[in-house]
Amino acid sequence: MFDPNATVLLAAILVPLFAGVVLAFGSGYTGGMRRGVALGGFGYPLVAAFFLAFRFDPAQVGAYNFESKLATGLDSFGIYLHLGLNGISLPLFLLAGVVGFAAGLYAMFSNAERPHLYLALMLFMQSGLMGTFASVDIFFFYFFHEFALIPTFIMIAVWGGTGRRTAAMEMTIYLTLGAMLSLLGLVSLYVTSGAESFSLPELRDYLATHPLSETLQANIFGLLLFGFGILVSLFPFHSWAPKGYASAPTGTAMLHAGVLKKFGLYGLLQIGVPLLPVGMAHWFPWLAWLALGNIIIIGLVTIAQRDLKLMLGYSSVMHMGYAFLGIAAFSVVGAGGALLMMVAHGLSVALLFMLSTCIYHRSLTFDLGAMGGLAVKAPVLCAFFVAASMASIGLPGFGNFWGEFTIFMALAETEFTRWLVLPAALGIIISAIYGLRAVANIFFGKPKAEFAARWDSDEVKDLQGFEKTPAMILLAALVVIGIFPRLVSDRADAELGGLYPIKESLPQFETTAGTPAVSGKEQTH
Amino acid sequence: MTPVTALTLTLLIPLASAAGIAFFLRRRGGLASTLSVAAAALLCICSFIAINARGDAAIVASWDWLSFGEFKVSMGFLLDDVAATMLAMVSFVGLLIHVFSLGYMKSDKAQARFFGGLSIFMFSMIGIILADNLIMIFVFWELVGFSSYMLIGHYLETEEAKAASKKAFIVNRVGDLGFLIGIVLAYWHFGTTDLTKMEQLTLGHPELVNAGIAAFLICGFIGKSAQFPLHVWLPDAMAGPTPVSALIHAATMVAAGIYFLIRISFLLPVEVLGFVAWLGTAVAVYAGFCAYAQNDIKRILAYSTLSQLGYMAAAFGLGYPGIALFHLITHAFFKALLFLGAGSVIHGCHHEQDIFKMGGLLKRMPITAITFAIGVLALCGVYGLAGFYSKDAILIAGGLEKTVIFILLTLGAFLTAGYMGRLFWVAFLGAPKSDAASHAKESPLTMVIPLLILAGLSVVGGMIQLWPEGLGALIRFDLERLHHAEGYSAMHHDVLIYGSAAWVVGLLGAFFFYGVGAKDDRLARIAPSVFAFLKARLWFDEIYGFYVSQVQDRFAAILSFLDVFLLRGLIIRGSAGLVGILGLGVRTLHVGNLHAYVYWFLGGLLLFWAFVGTVL
Repeated sequence: MFDPNATVLLAAILVPLFAGVVLAFGSGYTGGMRRGVALGGFGYPLVAAFFLAFRFDPAQVGAYNFESKLATGLDSFGIYLHLGLNGISLPLFLLAGVVGFAAGLYAMFSNAERPHLYLALMLFMQSGLMGTFASVDIFFFYFFHEFALIPTFIMIAVWGGTGRRTAAMEMTIYLTLGAMLSLLGLVSLYVTSGAESFSLPELRDYLATHPLSETLQANIFGLLLFGFGILVSLFPFHSWAPKGYASAPTGTAMLHAGVLKKFGLYGLLQIGVPLLPVGMAHWFPWLAWLALGNIIIIGLVTIAQRDLKLMLGYSSVMHMGYAFLGIAAFSVVGAGGALLMMVAHGLSVALLFMLSTCIYHRSLTFDLGAMGGLAVKAPVLCAFFVAASMASIGLPGFGNFWGEFTIFMALAETEFTRWLVLPAALGIIISAIYGLRAVANIFFGKPKAEFAARWDSDEVKDLQGFEKTPAMILLAALVVIGIFPRLVSDRADAELGGLYPIKESLPQFETTAGTPAVSGKEQTH
Repeated sequence: MTPVTALTLTLLIPLASAAGIAFFLRRRGGLASTLSVAAAALLCICSFIAINARGDAAIVASWDWLSFGEFKVSMGFLLDDVAATMLAMVSFVGLLIHVFSLGYMKSDKAQARFFGGLSIFMFSMIGIILADNLIMIFVFWELVGFSSYMLIGHYLETEEAKAASKKAFIVNRVGDLGFLIGIVLAYWHFGTTDLTKMEQLTLGHPELVNAGIAAFLICGFIGKSAQFPLHVWLPDAMAGPTPVSALIHAATMVAAGIYFLIRISFLLPVEVLGFVAWLGTAVAVYAGFCAYAQNDIKRILAYSTLSQLGYMAAAFGLGYPGIALFHLITHAFFKALLFLGAGSVIHGCHHEQDIFKMGGLLKRMPITAITFAIGVLALCGVYGLAGFYSKDAILIAGGLEKTVIFILLTLGAFLTAGYMGRLFWVAFLGAPKSDAASHAKESPLTMVIPLLILAGLSVVGGMIQLWPEGLGALIRFDLERLHHAEGYSAMHHDVLIYGSAAWVVGLLGAFFFYGVGAKDDRLARIAPSVFAFLKARLWFDEIYGFYVSQVQDRFAAILSFLDVFLLRGLIIRGSAGLVGILGLGVRTLHVGNLHAYVYWFLGGLLLFWAFVGTVL
């Protein structure tokens, strides 16, 4: 059985990779040629993602669309290049296509040194991103993530802003640690389960008939939780993120914060929680409290930031708390909310990072106290930034709102998690405070003295075409999800329905989750 | 055109207009304003088609919007009597204010942004009115908040607009936090947030009504209708252009809180109703006092709006939602008139807003002055004008239910007449007190015509028997209920005397106390301490300001410090250092440059591959 669409899917990984290789040796290319190759490399995954989304057969619940399985020489471990999409991975696959295209488009016109190498690394990253979300095989799921992560480090270290060395170092240590822990978790899942395959559906079927003991589940889930958690900047393992993003080149920050970071959440959502429900129940109090740390503590830390990029980095950490809570709710509603949040946050954070660089090109500073009045000179930039900030603080009409709202709904669904609603919802005030402060300081009022001195220079002008197009793409995607959330939710709902059983059926969850505060304390001492 | 199509158009036309302006007419203020006004006119027509087609039954329609497991969201319309009454008012008053803005905003640099904002506002407001479930109400509730933010911040170069827009949004968010929690709890409590279904459920099972959920839900009302303790944003919101103050911060959006209460009245138990009544009464009196220490014409009107919202809340809390709705509608007419009149004055006086720098406007702007006078009288509740009927009914309801509330609301009526008298005598009579006032000219037709129409409505709008058949059934019902209540005729008699006395004494008192065309505030001169106390408005802003700058921001700064130095510096670096000491091999990995690290990593992966390969 050969599905031609499977080739389209495979090509979504290979085309950017190929384009990247071509560009890596393209030091002699003219700007036009370079952009042409890059456009192909970033454009194809986008087109393929939309094409596959239209061909997606929602009836195949529990199975994968566009499946293909290629031998890799690792057959003895049951490792195949097994690709396919289901209702959970499809939205993220689309996200990778859209954000990748927007980031690529912006990078093509940025004035980076050695642009061919910069674009080549971004294309490698893009290839890894498409691969991550298209992988059915857990080994390749992990492999593609690493494949995308390495260019990230290099790009930060070479093309980054101030403090790039330490930022890259810290990020590398952290993310590698996270990746190692999650790899350890995935491998021990494979080893202890006794399944002869790294393929997710086979592993799932096997575990359904041969469930792991409670201790094993708890230990493996702990590895996955903290491994993936570090990758997604779970409190208190977040400190790599704001610094790292602040010094990363724009395209890298867009791809990493927008898409690659979602790998950890996706891993928990698609693999960790459904395969190890008892382990999830065991770690529930940890996850819940730490996620609250993300929302409230990091939220307040965000308020204190005076540097635009750091503020955006922290706010991105804060919003991950919602996604973690959605996962912690352990229900179809919660997982669905987390998925919506991941997609919408990916779009909005990429847009915000891009716009912050656009602001920097005009103000020559990230210091929020040294700007002001930019709306007069750059009304379109202002409109985009306001829209992106509103999206990120959860205004209805943008996708993020549905994510947050669904997660609150999920938390209120049962008694165990209902206490989380109020502290979690405090975040909507916190994010409004820092979001609107930033808008007011950058765009409203009168320009500060130093900024005013450059007021009439040519650099202080409105958003240009090459900035407007990627911004428009990202904003349009946010609005489409905001207005028609069903585009994401319908397929995911069907898929999640099979993965997330009603949690009352899990006695452990009930007992552990019923007294979260107590068991949380027991764990810490 | 089916009624549902008409409603869909009513909702989407302003959205289309906003999108059109944003994409194509950004630099063409003239065209943008035309498009926006045309959209307002079209939506007005569509809404009346839908209202006409309604008959006795409500128009309902619903579409599935999102579903995850047990959680299902739908979007839909519920055009019942209350919604139809509100829709008629909003679309008509909205149209008049759009037309007025044509003249008022003619020379504004960012006309397109302004009219785009008005269109977004109309879209969001109509969404609230038509929504058939709490989640949809919340969606549009936040969107009106956004359009309000955008329009308050219209003059974005000014510090007032910068601060006020932010404040309005954040304070509203505080209210919305409670609202949101209320919705989330209500969904799992009732299994739905559909208004019709919840009403049927509570009718069948009155024990389902939950005070906790109700208390959370009314937080939304407290924020949006600017009640205690979230009232602080409304006076500051006057930093926006005057038509915005008329449309959003007087006639429609702030009243949406009351409308929301009426929509969910079946969810509110008696205790919560009592709380709302006392809250409204307190705000009515408090705002009345505050208005005496304001010299800005718009801020005086803003406090008056607060106070009138308090009346509506009181009426609702006393168990007469129809009368609250009645006052909401009549208030929309005369307060829109007053704000537009103020706008006309500000336009005529080249953006002078201090009433003590005006004077003599009756001669120079006669139409504005006379229509403004009508608005003042209607607001004071002069016999036969719009405000009389609704305010009278509120006072009667107060007298029948709770005497203390009656006394306080009568005091409020007296205060209203006093500060409105102060405003009118000082600003419109006597001699001009500034160059701007002496050169004031009557405003153009686009501004005067809406004033005349609203003045007409402020005169006859209270005569419910003149209203179209299909509107105001709840108002008629509650008025009937009141008329047949025990002790009605005696109370009616009393209210007629006390109510009339309140406005006569208030207006005349202001006339004799402040004098015609006074140059400065006599109260501030003879009793500075009283004036200062009123100006301090019970120090709400100071307390919040203290909290934000001294508590919240400091706490945030401390956490930020801890985050950087403790978490990063000590724990993470410290443990990284420990790892480093553990072995030289590890140490070289960490100290070596990044490239080397990456090669190590790739090498490891290759090794893994090779290992597996040889095993094969």
